[in-house]
Amino acid sequence: MKFSDETLRAYLEGNADAAEAVAIEAAIETDPELEQRLMALDSFAPVVKAVFDDIPAEVPQVNLPEAAVSQPQTSGGPWRLLAVAASVAVLAVSATIWATRPQPMGWAEQAAIYQSLYTPDTIASLDNSSAALDAQFALAEAQLGRPLNRATLEVLPGLELKRAQVLSFKGKPLIQVVFADDQGQPLAFCVIRQGEGAPTKDVKLAALSGLATATWAQDGYGYMLIGSNEQTDLNQELDILTATFAG
Amino acid sequence: MGVQISSEQAVRGAIQTHSKRVWRFGLALSGASDVADDLLQSTCLRALERHHQVTSHDRLDSWLMTICRSIWLNEVRARSVRKAQALSVTPEAELISVGPDSETNIFAAEVFTQVMQLPEAQRETVMLVFVEGYSYREAAALLDVPIGTIMSRLSNARQKLKNVMQHDAADAVRRSGK
Repeated sequence: MKFSDETLRAYLEGNADAAEAVAIEAAIETDPELEQRLMALDSFAPVVKAVFDDIPAEVPQVNLPEAAVSQPQTSGGPWRLLAVAASVAVLAVSATIWATRPQPMGWAEQAAIYQSLYTPDTIASLDNSSAALDAQFALAEAQLGRPLNRATLEVLPGLELKRAQVLSFKGKPLIQVVFADDQGQPLAFCVIRQGEGAPTKDVKLAALSGLATATWAQDGYGYMLIGSNEQTDLNQELDILTATFAG
Repeated sequence: MGVQISSEQAVRGAIQTHSKRVWRFGLALSGASDVADDLLQSTCLRALERHHQVTSHDRLDSWLMTICRSIWLNEVRARSVRKAQALSVTPEAELISVGPDSETNIFAAEVFTQVMQLPEAQRETVMLVFVEGYSYREAAALLDVPIGTIMSRLSNARQKLKNVMQHDAADAVRRSGK
């Protein structure tokens, strides 16, 4: 069943008749798109959100134990020796693993690996209705703490905006915005909040995980454009995005 | 993402990223900021103890919320409610951000009070959907109730919030428009 925006607004304001309300509530159970539409029309949510957004004003402090290998509890006796021997063995193995560990990957490498798993089918059936994108961008911008300039992203030449998704890397919000080119191939633009004081970096082109990429950083945010293959020419988009996301 | 991040690192990261949200949810559940402090601390310790249960690093926020709520329901609620008899619903002055516009503050305080005066089930639902942006089905999964229940709780909450909103939202819009 189709519901008009008027009907949905009447429901949200408590003015829909009972039969309509029942029909909407039943339809939502199986229709995530209708759910998104209804949520986007809800005028109560942004007001309540604005009131609670700054509560608490400061990030609350949490006392966590240091990350450490916990020692097994032992009560002496022969088991104790065994436990000591075991923990020595664990330490030896851990030390070897630590010494031979790969260098930790940066966010750009990880984002490229993730993006390399995308195929045209991944994005073909994404719901990129205006209501779905409204909700996704609202969430993404809230997490990121800066606008994503959707108006610009919507009109990048030759690219169709498909989705904005909230990810996270080492506790930092990482937003992935996915596009389809005219062949339906997936491209992505990622933004990570690195925090104040993060170094500014000029645009750097690299092939990562078999994909052409461009990364740069400015004013506490890192940016990355990821092509659909190693040969993707990113220059045109890059000109627009570096100008748009200049701090 | 997070191929190389251990579950413990992921949980520590999530705690850092979401501590404000968990605290806010603790406030919505308990109605008291000191209880919210305790709930946040207990939630984070419990999450860290259980980091090995984490199979996906996605949506650790809702996992933290679930832990917070279960600690509230199973360990804190009876004690807190007995102590206070009823939830304190007076907005604690320091919780409402102080802006230059005092009318906006009064409006914010009224909305805050109205939300905090909602019955607990409506309050937690409003917090998850309106404030934290969870979809109805995500909130339903988190609170372990049908989607229809989420929707009817929100409808009831909207009815109660309607008066203060219609009154003051119009003022706020008019003021911000000038």
